[in-house]
Parts: sequence; C-alpha cells; structure tokens
Amino acid sequence: MPRLLLAAAALASGAVPLPTAAGQEKAADKAALAFFENKIRPVLVKECYSCHSAETRSGTGGLRKGGKGGLNLDTREGIRKGGDSGPAVVPGKPTESLLIHALHEDGVALMPPKGKLPDAVVADFEKWVKMGAPDPRDGKVAAVAGIDLEKGRQFWSFRPPQAHPAPAVTDAAWPAADLDRFVLARLEAAGLKPAADADPRTLIRRLHLDLVGLPPSPDEVEAFAKDPSPAAYAKVVDALLASPRFGERWGRHWLDLARYADSNGKDENLTFHEAYRYRDYVIRAFNQDKPFDRFVVEQLAGDLLPAKDQAERDDLLTATGFLVVGPKILAERDKPKLRWDVADEQIDTVGKAFLGLTLGCARCHDHKFDPVPTADYYALAGIFTSTRTVNGIKLGNAAVSGWMLRPLGGLGAEKAVAARAEYDAKLKKLQDEVKKAKADLAAVGEKAAARLPGKLLGFTVDNPDATFVGSWKPSTFTKPYVGDGYVHDDKAGKGEKSATFTPKLPKAGEYEVLVSYTGVTGRATNVPVTVVFDGGEKTVTLDQSKPPKIDGLFQSVGTFKFKAGSDGSVTLSNKGTEGHVIADAVRFVPAGELAKDPEMGMGVPSEVKAAAAEAEAKLKKLEADEAALKKDAPPAPRMVMAVRDEDKVEDAHINIRGNPAQLGAVVPRGVLQVATVGPKPTFPANQSGRKELAEWVASPANPLTARVAVNRVWHHLFGAGLVRTVDNFGIQGEKPSHPELLDTLAVTFAKNGWSHKKLIREVVLSRAYRQSIHNPQAVTADPENRLFGRATRRRVEAEVIRDTILTVSGKLDLNGGGPVVAHFPERAIDNQSQGGFNTDPILKRAVYLPVIRNDLTPLFEVFDFADPDVADGQRDATTVSTQALYLMNSTFANGQAKAAAERLIAEEPDAGKRFALLFRRALGRAPTAAEAAAATTFLADYKKAIDTLPTGQKPKDANLAAWSAVCLSVFGCSEFRFVE
Amino acid sequence: MLTRRDMLRAASAGAGFGYLAFLDQLVRAGDAKDATAAKAGHHPARAKRVIFLFMHGGPSQVDTFDPKPELDKRDGQELPFEPAKGTTVSKKLMKSPWKFKKYGESGIAVSDLFPETAKHVDDLCVINSMHTEGQSHGQAVLKLHTGDIALTRPSVGSWVTYGLGTENRNLPGFVTVCPTRGHGGAQNYGNAFLPAAFQGMAIGAAGVPASSATIKNVHNPEVPAELQRQQLDFMQQLNKEYAARAGVDDRLEATAASYELAFRMQAAVPKVTDIRSETKETLKLYGIGEKPTDEFGRQCLMARRFAEAGVRYIQVTHNSFKWDQHGNIKQHEPNAKEVDKPIAGLLADLKSRGLLKDTLVVWGAEFGRTPVTQGKDGRDHNPQGFTMWLSGGGVKGGHVHGATDEFGYHAVKDKVHMHDLHATILHLLGLDHEKLTYRHAGRDFRLTDVYGHVVKDLFA
Repeated sequence: MPRLLLAAAALASGAVPLPTAAGQEKAADKAALAFFENKIRPVLVKECYSCHSAETRSGTGGLRKGGKGGLNLDTREGIRKGGDSGPAVVPGKPTESLLIHALHEDGVALMPPKGKLPDAVVADFEKWVKMGAPDPRDGKVAAVAGIDLEKGRQFWSFRPPQAHPAPAVTDAAWPAADLDRFVLARLEAAGLKPAADADPRTLIRRLHLDLVGLPPSPDEVEAFAKDPSPAAYAKVVDALLASPRFGERWGRHWLDLARYADSNGKDENLTFHEAYRYRDYVIRAFNQDKPFDRFVVEQLAGDLLPAKDQAERDDLLTATGFLVVGPKILAERDKPKLRWDVADEQIDTVGKAFLGLTLGCARCHDHKFDPVPTADYYALAGIFTSTRTVNGIKLGNAAVSGWMLRPLGGLGAEKAVAARAEYDAKLKKLQDEVKKAKADLAAVGEKAAARLPGKLLGFTVDNPDATFVGSWKPSTFTKPYVGDGYVHDDKAGKGEKSATFTPKLPKAGEYEVLVSYTGVTGRATNVPVTVVFDGGEKTVTLDQSKPPKIDGLFQSVGTFKFKAGSDGSVTLSNKGTEGHVIADAVRFVPAGELAKDPEMGMGVPSEVKAAAAEAEAKLKKLEADEAALKKDAPPAPRMVMAVRDEDKVEDAHINIRGNPAQLGAVVPRGVLQVATVGPKPTFPANQSGRKELAEWVASPANPLTARVAVNRVWHHLFGAGLVRTVDNFGIQGEKPSHPELLDTLAVTFAKNGWSHKKLIREVVLSRAYRQSIHNPQAVTADPENRLFGRATRRRVEAEVIRDTILTVSGKLDLNGGGPVVAHFPERAIDNQSQGGFNTDPILKRAVYLPVIRNDLTPLFEVFDFADPDVADGQRDATTVSTQALYLMNSTFANGQAKAAAERLIAEEPDAGKRFALLFRRALGRAPTAAEAAAATTFLADYKKAIDTLPTGQKPKDANLAAWSAVCLSVFGCSEFRFVE
Repeated sequence: MLTRRDMLRAASAGAGFGYLAFLDQLVRAGDAKDATAAKAGHHPARAKRVIFLFMHGGPSQVDTFDPKPELDKRDGQELPFEPAKGTTVSKKLMKSPWKFKKYGESGIAVSDLFPETAKHVDDLCVINSMHTEGQSHGQAVLKLHTGDIALTRPSVGSWVTYGLGTENRNLPGFVTVCPTRGHGGAQNYGNAFLPAAFQGMAIGAAGVPASSATIKNVHNPEVPAELQRQQLDFMQQLNKEYAARAGVDDRLEATAASYELAFRMQAAVPKVTDIRSETKETLKLYGIGEKPTDEFGRQCLMARRFAEAGVRYIQVTHNSFKWDQHGNIKQHEPNAKEVDKPIAGLLADLKSRGLLKDTLVVWGAEFGRTPVTQGKDGRDHNPQGFTMWLSGGGVKGGHVHGATDEFGYHAVKDKVHMHDLHATILHLLGLDHEKLTYRHAGRDFRLTDVYGHVVKDLFA
C-alpha cells in the first residue's frame, strides 16, 4: 500500500498508526517481539482465543461468528481496534487499555472470567503495553463477524408462511372444516382418534366464556341442549360474535399485550387519567372487527395517517396510546437515558406483541439466540427516539417527567387547550392571591385578637412572669388570652398549686385589679384569688366557668391601694377546686382610667383593627373574582395519551453495551433484516418512520405478524398455542406442533382481510374445538395434548370469575367504558398511601376496573391477572391459598354471595329448585342428586348452628345467611373456576 | 405409602376414612412436590433466615456508622473534586452534627444517633463500602429489592423462598411488615416471573399501625370460624363430587387443598402478629408502649415472632419514607429515635433466644447521603458510597469491611456492590447466586444477572 494512502486510511479510521511491515522493525524491537512471543502470545492463545477470535462460534447452532463483544484478540488489528467497548490495547498506555483493566477487574468485568491470572502474568501484559504493544500478527479482522443473517433466515419463523392443502385423512366423516383435517391427520399418524363431541351444556358454557367471557343464561343453555344442531350452534356463534360483550373479552386479551394500565407504576406511580380512551378504542376495534393489519398501523402510527374526518383523526390519535401507556422511570434524573429507556420499552413491547420476539436483548449486544444484531435494534431505536413520548414535568418537580398528551377535536381543540391553559394560569394566580390574602388576614386578625401585655392599659403581669408552685401546663387552646398563651393546673394536684403575679408598679396609688381568663364549661367555679395590698390581704373567689365581664377576658376583683414597686401581689390557687384552673395574666389599672379609654383598655390599637377590616374586604373581593372566573371557565379539553414525531428526526447511535453515554456508530433507521422479505422500506428524513415500521409489521410479507396473531387466537380457544410459547417465535421458543396448519391459518387470515371474527368463527365451528375433554387413549399417548385430540380443562381468568359472580348475583352493570380513575390524585399511590382503593362498588365488567400498577385490585392480584408492566400473551393459572382467602373472606365475595342469595330467595320459593337455579346460573347445569342432598343437609345444619350463636353474633336472617353461604361455596368450588 | 392420586381415588370411591383427614393428608402429601416445601440449598448454610430492616429514604453514612475526621476538619470548605452527576448539591463539605463514640471490645465508632444499637456493635458486621445504582429513590429501592433499577424482576425474598422453600406450611415463606407502596411498591416484594407461591405477603402497609397490621382477607368479620368451617366442608363436598366426575387432575386437588391451607393460615397468622402473649420485659426491650419507639418496636417484635415460626425471609420497613433529609439533616434524630431501641431490642432478643446465630439481620437503605450540603443543611442521595450492616447468620461480629474516601463520598476500599451483597446473602443461606436460576422467556435469570461476587471476608 502506498504510504500516503496508508496514512490517510489511518487518519480516516481514527486508529493509531500501526507498525508497518515486520521488515521495517528496528533491531532494538527484536527483543520486544521476543517478549511478545514468549510472554504474551501463549497467554492469548491459551486464555483468550476460545471466546475472542475470528474462529469463535457461539449462539444456538453456531449462529454467531467472531469474538464475543465484537472483540477479536487474534490479530494486531483486532486487539487495537477492540470490540464494542473500544480499543483493547492502546500502545504505550496501560491505563487506557481496556485489556489491562479487564485483567485487574478494574471498572470492567474480569477477564478471563473463570479467574484472575497470576500477578506476574498481568505485570507482563502491562509491561508489554508500555513497550508499545509490539505485535507481529498480521491479518484483517473478519469483516463479517457477527450474526449470520442468511443462516437466520432459514429458521422456520423467518421464512414466509405458505398455505398448504388440507391433508388426506382416513376418517373423512369427522372433519367439519379444513383445519380439522390438519388436526386429524396428525392424530391418525399417531394412531389416535379425536375425542367425542362435548355434551351441549358443556360446549355452550365453553363457547360463551371463550367468546364473551360471561356464562350463558339458564335459558340459553336449555335452548341449545334442546337443539344442538350445527345450524343452531352456528347461530349462537354468530350472535356472540356480534355482541358488544365480544370486544370486552377479546379487547382484554389485546390489553394484556399492550401492558395496559391506569397508572405508571415503577418509581413514581402517577395516575394515567386519560388511558381509558385507549382501552375503549381497543374494545371498539374488536367489536368493529377492525382488520388486524390496520389495527397494527393505527397503534404504531395513527397520528401520521390521513383521516376522512375529525372523528377518525381522534380515533387514530387515541390508538397511539399503545406507545404511551407503558411503565416509565419518570424520576430518572438522566433525561437522555430516560428517552432511551422509553424507546427500549416500546421496542420490547412491539417485538413481543406483534412479532413474538424478545428484541430488548439486542440493546446491549447482538441477540444471544435470535438473528437480531445490535445494529437492527438501533435501527428501530432511531424510529422511537425520533418520537416524543416523554413530555413536560409532573408533581411540579423538574426531576419528574410527564408523558405526551394531545387534544382531541382538531384545530379547535388546540385553541381550546390554549384557552384552558390561559384560564388555568389565571386561576392559579388568583388562587395564590387568595391564599396570601387568607394568610394576611390570619396574621393581622391574630394581631387584632391578641392582647399584648405591653399594649394594655395599666400594668400587666403575664403568666411567663408569674411565680408558680406545682406544675402548670402551657396552652393556647382556648382563645383569646394575654400574650402568647396561658397555663392550667391540668385538673391535678388540687390544693398543691398556685400562681403568684407580682407587679412592678411605677407609683403608689389606687389600682383596679383585673384577672384574665376565658370562661368555659369544665373550668373551676371557685378559684381562690388572694390580693396582697398596701394594708392587708383579701381573698375572693372567681367562677372560671363563666366568661368574665370585660371583653370576655378580664374580671375585676376590686380596687386596692398599692405602694410603688413590688410589695403587692395577686395569687391564684387551685385549693378546693374541681375543674381546670387557668392562670393567664393580672392587670393593675390606675383607678378610673378604664372608663376613660375603653379601646386601649382592650389593648388593640385602632390601626390594627382597620388593617384587619381591610384584609377581610380584600379577601372577599378576591374570592368573588375567583368565583366569577370559574363561572366563565372554558371547557377542559379532551386529552388523550398519544405520541408525536420529534421536531428533529435523527438516526440513532449504537449505545455501546447499552450505555447512552458511550456512543458508537450511527445506524440508519430500519427494520429487522432477518424478517424482511423483498425490498427494505425506505425511511423519510422528515418523519420518525413509525408509519414505515408499522406498514412493514402489518405486511402480509412479514413472516411473523400473521403467524403470531393466529397463534394467539388458537391459544385463547384451546388453552395452548400451536406454538406454545406465544410471545416467543425465536430460536428459544417452541416449534409449532402443526406448522402447516399454522401457516395455512396465517395466510388465510391475511387473505380474509385480517379479520379476527372470521378466524375465531372458523375455529369454534371446527370439530377440533367442539371435542370433549375425555379421551383416555389420547391422555396416555399425548399427555401434554400437543395433538389437540381432546379439549383441555382450563382455569378461567380473574375477569371471568368476577363477571360470573356478578352475573349470578344479578348486579352486573353492562354499561361500560369511560373514565374510572378521574377521582384519583396526580400520584395514584405514594409512600404514605395505605393503598387499596376499593373496587367493590364498581359493578361494570372487570375490563373496566382500574388497573393500578403495583396495587392491583385484590381479585386480579390473586387470580393471575396479566403483569401490566410487560406485554404478556400467556397468563399464569396458579393455585395459591390467597385465592382461597379471597373467596372465603373478601367483602366482594361475601357481599355478592349475599346479593345472589337475596335474588334467589326472591325469585324461587322452593329450596330444591332454588339450589338448581343457582347451579344453572353459575355452572350451566343442574346439580346431581348427591349435590342437592348435600345442600339440603348443609342448609339445615348451618341454620341450626346459627341458632346456637350468642345473640350478638347471630345474623338477622338465618335463612339468608345460610343461602349466602351456599352461594359463597359455589363461587369458591373448583368447578366454578374451570372451563371444560 | 399412599400417593396423592391413590388417596384421591380412595376418597372418591368412598373408602373408609373421613374426608377431612383425607384432605389433611392431601396437604401433607402435597408438601413433597409443592414448590414451597422446605428444601436444601447448594451448600451448607450459615443462616436459615433473613430479617431485613429497611430504612426507606436513605440514612446518611457519615452521620451514623462511617465517622470521617477529615470531614470534621474541613467543615465548610470546598470538596476537592466534582460532585456526582445527577445530584443538585453544593461543593460545601458539612461535618456531622453528631459525635461518634467507640463501643464494645471492637471499639467500632458509632454516632450518637444509634446509642442503643451501638451496644451491640460487637455483633455487627459494618460494610462501609456499599455502592449501587439509581440516583433517584424509585430506581435505587428497586435495585435494592430486586437487583434491577427498571425491569420487573423477582424480589430477593422471592428468590430465597424459591431456593429454600418455607419451614412452616401454615405461613407464607416471605413476609413484609408494613411495606411502602411508593417507589415500586408491591414490585419490591413481587415474584415477577417466579411462581406466585413465592410472592411476598404484605402484613399491613405503610401508614397502617403495626398493631392492626395483618394479611389481606385473613379474617371474615361476619362469619364465625365454626360456621365458616361448615361452609368449607360443604364446598369441599362439591369439590369432591366434581373431582370424582372430572378424573385425575392435580389442579383440582390443589384447589381443594388451598382452602385447607388458607383455613389454617387464618388461624396461624393472628397468632404470630398478636404480641399480647409477650412479657412486659420483652415489650420494654423493644420500646413498645413508649412514644417514639412503639410503632417500629412492634414491627421488630413481629419479625422475631415470624422468624421463630419458621418464615424464611422477613422484611420490616421503617416507613413512611422518613430518612430523606434534603434539608435539615438534624431530622435524622427523631428518625433514629424511632428505630434505635427497637433494633437493639431485636438483636438482644434474638441473641438471648439463640436465634441470632442462624438469623441474618440486614440493616440499610437504598443509598446513603452526600457529605456535601444540599440547600442550607441537607444532604442529597448518594449511591456512590454508603453503609449497611449485617448481624448474626454466620457473619463476623465487631467487624468493619471496606471504606469510603476521606469525606465519605465514594466507596474506595473493598467495595461491595448491591449485587455483591445479594450474592453474599444468598451464599450465607446456602445458595449459589450463579446456580439459583429460573428459566423465563427463553433464558435463565438470576438475582444477580451477570454480576455479583460473594464477599467472603464478611464470614465468621
């Protein structure tokens, strides 16, 4: 290479110029090279190459090639260029060489990971770097290091799905639809027969719970039992699909994936007052059977789509709530990092919900298992960091971020928002002024009410200057008083306590003695007051339970002659008293003065009184202004959680090891390479690219989207997907049990206009769906039921348990939608919250209950509600004792059991028929003879037991109590929580 | 020996033993395969259980267990390096307003905030070189409890009960007394992707007086226990009828058994939370019945009672979020007054009952505080260096591990990261933090992710 070019290349790459050909090495360097050969190379070969060389293969099936962390230590170029974290060796500078840090485990992970190398070896490496890291190893770093995308594309889920003809089967009479032939063919190949059809009562309950999440009424069960023909069945299916209850059931499945919640959770659990609009949009979308491809595009990029009118524009904006309702670390102080974290959360959700992939892994490194290189992650990240999700502040705290809210209603709404903001600012200013005026009035009012010892006419001794015997308690409880408060004897130590007030009189003369106290019931009625004066001593008694005559505070005990100075005194005692004795102050007013200046007699100057009156008038005016402003308040705009594009659209830098402070190369915005069939989408410079991303996700050419969607439907209807890891179609996921069926359903789904209702109809009309759970032969041969040769018993979800209870009690309110957390404060749950908002009075369907992150309503919490922090397509179905406690003791279960009992008693006088009615409502069948007998015995025994209870514990209505217990038992029994 | 299925068949066929006896056997037989049954760890354990005393808000290390003479000397002077990113502090150094005194044989210095706890200093293993992530409470609290500042991960207590199960089948294996609802709330004792049985059970909540703290729905206020027993028997009859028709299904057995466990739990829990049977001396030891200590004293005493009853992981929270002195660091004093005596009482009580040797007591918070001022006289959050201490459960007593710099700002010597502390706690319990994994979403998860070193220097 010509020297000039070499220099240019080195400059362009920013790399340290490499020593050129070995031949140019000076003789002095020979020793250095020998050092490398003896001390360094053997260690590299032995300890490092297995993970950090061009030959390294990792990942499932050797999908990844090249050194881990992008680091190859087997060439000079590789060791100096380094990996994801930067150069491993900077010649001459051990402190800047990551390799040396790794050997010491100083700020980076220890290498080799299995244990620290001997100190002498580490010292050799340091010495070698100091020498300039002489290194004769030529060779280029393999350019193709990283993920082998071509190999990745061969994985089943990244190949485009193809429709397959339905296979031939032996039992041609069984299949009702093509999909049955796929199922039957596999069963026959395994030597198995499908199960018999489920009995009509079982089937109709299953169908209702699956399609609308509510049990069939007894009439609906009986009607179907009478005519279970395919035509009658299809009619029920169509009616359920058309019911508004359908969207409430299937919309909720989607909300699990959208990690929907009405509060933020995480560090600052702020209320999402507007989230419900997105929830209602989802339910509407399922009821309208919005084509799924359109549904995808609206949620990712609704704000960027054209709309025919304002109503549609509002709907499209609302759809993007999908991107905003996720949990965020709102108090993250590093705001650029928060932006990355939010983008990460969005990528993770999009990956799981639409594509069945865990993309979050690729934030820090190439995906360990799936063919998703870090570059692909940052191609997506650029789309989301060019989108504004976080916006403004909350709690009036600059450290706590808010989220994007946008007005509904178009241009007019923008104006309404501005008007409302102006109003809010005015109102706040006015309210601040009112607050201040109140404080001013309180301050001046306090002054006006205060009796200041120095301002009072005559000579005043206040309680702090008195001499006390025994313990007296200070108080300011009863106003007014002289000075800062008064003391009282605490109604204790009667006869032991006294308070002596000694004046320092300026001159001798006649003084009227005034004792101050407020007269309140409970105070002593006979307080002895002893006046020591010039020439004697006199004791009078005061009734402190009645207000004194002057200003309600001062009581004259007579006029006495005093010498100048401190010879005289006044002593209050608690001797012989019963109520509280208070001691506040004693005044010595020159005789006759009081009548001359009554105002100063009270110690309140006129200017103070005037100021108080003025402050009061000012407050009244401000309060009137506030009321007037509120009367003309512009309507609060309707806001919705929705994103918008950032003002500046930018491609993202790779964050090395996921650290936003350490930026690598820029990656142009784009989509997953491995799942792209045909030309790559191009991204506009002036838009985030969400629209292009959305169209790529929703394209029939995307190998994942339709497969993932149809598999979710199968999962909800059969209890397990054709791919059982419904959220993971990657290499770590399970392979499909019926790949041809899955692909055929996916292709048909896209071809049929991405209609969920058509797909669900096709599946529930199949014989595979209509099977009974009993098939002993298949249980033995196929215990996990991967061949779907029978139905499975499934635990119903929390919502079904609750909505069924409310159906039986007759309390279910089928009006749904709208806000549910409007009354919540800005922070839904804080550190002082005792928590637990009560959802018992909300009788709407469970899908409309508030979902408060980290404080789910107890029934959701115990019955495996989807974790609202993450996209979750597969709920748990655990059995734990907290479920039992809930169904035994909760106010909800007990209250609804009682309501159900009241309803039954009112509707059915005969006990036997009443029990049957309960069973029909709750379980869709009549009780067996044994069950009915057990109920009869129980009712009698229970009432008898009630009779033996003590009166206090006895319920008012023993019959109602017994029937409530019967209803509670049915709500709690195992059959209630399973569907067959 | 009968298997569960044998028993179920026998019962369905109406074989000759009472249904209740059958259910009881069912529960016991269930233990063998029940996820929460007690099981052995990876290596011999030094501690059988943990009591974690959480000081929500972040007590200041330089005002409690990490004396800094250089800070005293340079009070009011400028910090010679830049404060940590993300803080809003001045560079003005502020000495502690409290004096440190040496205590015990070990002569470890403790500030006047903790005079009672200080008397047990010879049983404390003080880690002065803690460091963690999360400059805000929410992040750091989640890091402390779950090992991650943002992603939803199982709590330490959930991992521990997943690894070791519980010793008392009538009580949950992991309880948290009066937990905070903010800063991650239930996520801090959540099981995340681990099975639901390993979720922490809240006893009360922040703001609920400890005297009335109990498990949600553990009591039916209207139906007396005898009547409820009758109702459950009737329901179990319905369950039996259904099970007989439904065929063998573990979940049906488990449902029936869950009611029996719940019924026993509702008798067992109040027995533990009710402290009336304790002697006057014991109550006094914890400061119960005295003003500032009553609340936390009750929580600590409850912790001892749960420990005695075989609960594996017990958390006690000093709520609500009191230790966050951004202004007026002196407010630490009333905080310390509330907890000092109860903590000392707990240590003394555990020791006298022989429980301290296999109970690991952990004291600390999400982070410490800066040695420089925030506002006039406050301190900001400091995850860069702070103090936690351990006691009992196989750790050295009278020992100080690691150090912060001369001002108490950054951990510098023998640093212990939060992941290291987690790894160490698991190790003391007999669990290897690298082997205690759970497969979820296609990969194996650990409490310590890919980090964590066991700090063996702490072991007795």
